[in-house]
Amino acid sequence: MTGALALATGSLTPASPVVAQVTAVEASLLAFVVLTALATALARDVLAAVIVFGAYSLGMAALYTFYRAPDVALTEAAISAGVTTVLLLLTLAKTTRIDHDSVFESVNLPAASAAGFLFAGLLLTMGDIPAIGSPDAPVWSNPDVTQWYLTETYAQTHVENTVMAVLAAFRGFDTFGEAIVVFAGGIAALIVLHREVFA
Amino acid sequence: MSVVDAALVAGYTVGDFLLLAAAGFTVLAIGMLYRAVKGPTMQDRVLAVNVLGTNTVVILAILSAALSEPTFLDIALVYALLNFLMAIAISKFTVERGGVL
Amino acid sequence: MSDAVDDTDMTDTVTDPGTDDSFDDAAADRDGSESELPPHRAAPRSGRLDSENRQGTPYTESQVIMPTVKVIAPFAFTFGLFITFHGGGSPGGGFQGGAIMAAVVFMIAFAFGIESTRDWLANTVVVALAVGGALAFAGIGLVPVALGGAFLQYDLLPIPILDPVKYGMEGVEIVGIAPIVSGVLMGLFFLLARGFNSEGDGFGNGSLDEDGSIDEDGSIDETGTLEGDAADAGGDR
Repeated sequence: MTGALALATGSLTPASPVVAQVTAVEASLLAFVVLTALATALARDVLAAVIVFGAYSLGMAALYTFYRAPDVALTEAAISAGVTTVLLLLTLAKTTRIDHDSVFESVNLPAASAAGFLFAGLLLTMGDIPAIGSPDAPVWSNPDVTQWYLTETYAQTHVENTVMAVLAAFRGFDTFGEAIVVFAGGIAALIVLHREVFA
Repeated sequence: MSVVDAALVAGYTVGDFLLLAAAGFTVLAIGMLYRAVKGPTMQDRVLAVNVLGTNTVVILAILSAALSEPTFLDIALVYALLNFLMAIAISKFTVERGGVL
Repeated sequence: MSDAVDDTDMTDTVTDPGTDDSFDDAAADRDGSESELPPHRAAPRSGRLDSENRQGTPYTESQVIMPTVKVIAPFAFTFGLFITFHGGGSPGGGFQGGAIMAAVVFMIAFAFGIESTRDWLANTVVVALAVGGALAFAGIGLVPVALGGAFLQYDLLPIPILDPVKYGMEGVEIVGIAPIVSGVLMGLFFLLARGFNSEGDGFGNGSLDEDGSIDEDGSIDETGTLEGDAADAGGDR
């Protein structure tokens, strides 16, 4: 029981290997995300892939929440549950359905092995990446960027949400560009579908 | 000190047990994933993804309590409201394919 | 999908493909039964979303979906507004709130039919949301430039009494990003629901009139709302 709890809460000694530092919540959520991602990629039926992709986004939102990134989790929740599934289904409604006997795609061995080699190569870099939540990680301990934002945001912008302050104030011009990109996406959809009006 | 930080057993706090409960719910979600992937009919998948959504709302609420961040409940609320949209979209698509609307 | 047909029996609508006659009969039966309703329910006011003036042919959906959407939609829309307006103090912001508000429109379209949704949410509204949001964002950014500052330099905004930095940021989120996102997402939804315009030479030449006439006379013959016609319009799908 205590062993399981230690695994669950990550309260083993700091020197324990990386695997032991992964808590039970992280491990189960990561397993869920990986399984749903694999099922989405391998599903034979497109509708099944769309449905499993919805489940994937559920796991991602919970994972973002666990890592205390509520803004990202909220975006994942709103976009994936509300928008992406609906738009994918609408697109799917314009296609014809082919009945399949098998649940999964047959795996193309050369492609799978290429992906496997890429995955192995990326795994080699894992040793140099700081542990999640480590106070020594450059992205956190950087006094000029992260710590500056965290300490100066309220004094300079008078809002409590640092993410929004970075988006709207410190990086406001970038956000303006992003908003214009969304706007241009709507126009591009009009052009691609040969329409002049949305409705 | 909030309730989450109160020690229960052997130095482990309420928050630790809440995290363990969240992990348990995630394991249940993995079990439900089998039905979402395997099918065999689309209705099975619709129900499975609906259960997964409700399960995720519970996980998010537990995480919000365990991490002592009440604002994280917003995410659970968004999921609770929009999971319904996902369910009716998929189920309408399943009933009358091609006539989603 | 043949195993799914049985499920439609518990709904009011007739979804059997290619049986337009039975659909008309069912519609006539519904009209007859509606006249026997108590007076306060017999004739829906013409402005209501479910009235025949707004809807053309009566559009009925599952008795589960329609009331549930009626209950949930106001709360979801309010929550989207909350996420948008409260972005400074809690997680969220214009992007998330706009997406939730667009999702409410999707929800209503799924429950009450996309044609009636097109009626009350005209193209003008969708375009005005997207364009107005972009113009408002650019305008808030350019006002400090006009006053001799930099783009989006909030402390130069001429906002009396209130804190210009905080309310400038909130203004960008509320009247800039949220309308752009919700407008574009609603537009994408309507676009994808109608599909690719395979008639005419593209860009509306020759085909826009045909499409426009569908909207004008309220007919739903070629818009794919009816199951049988959806099957007939197979070239589009």
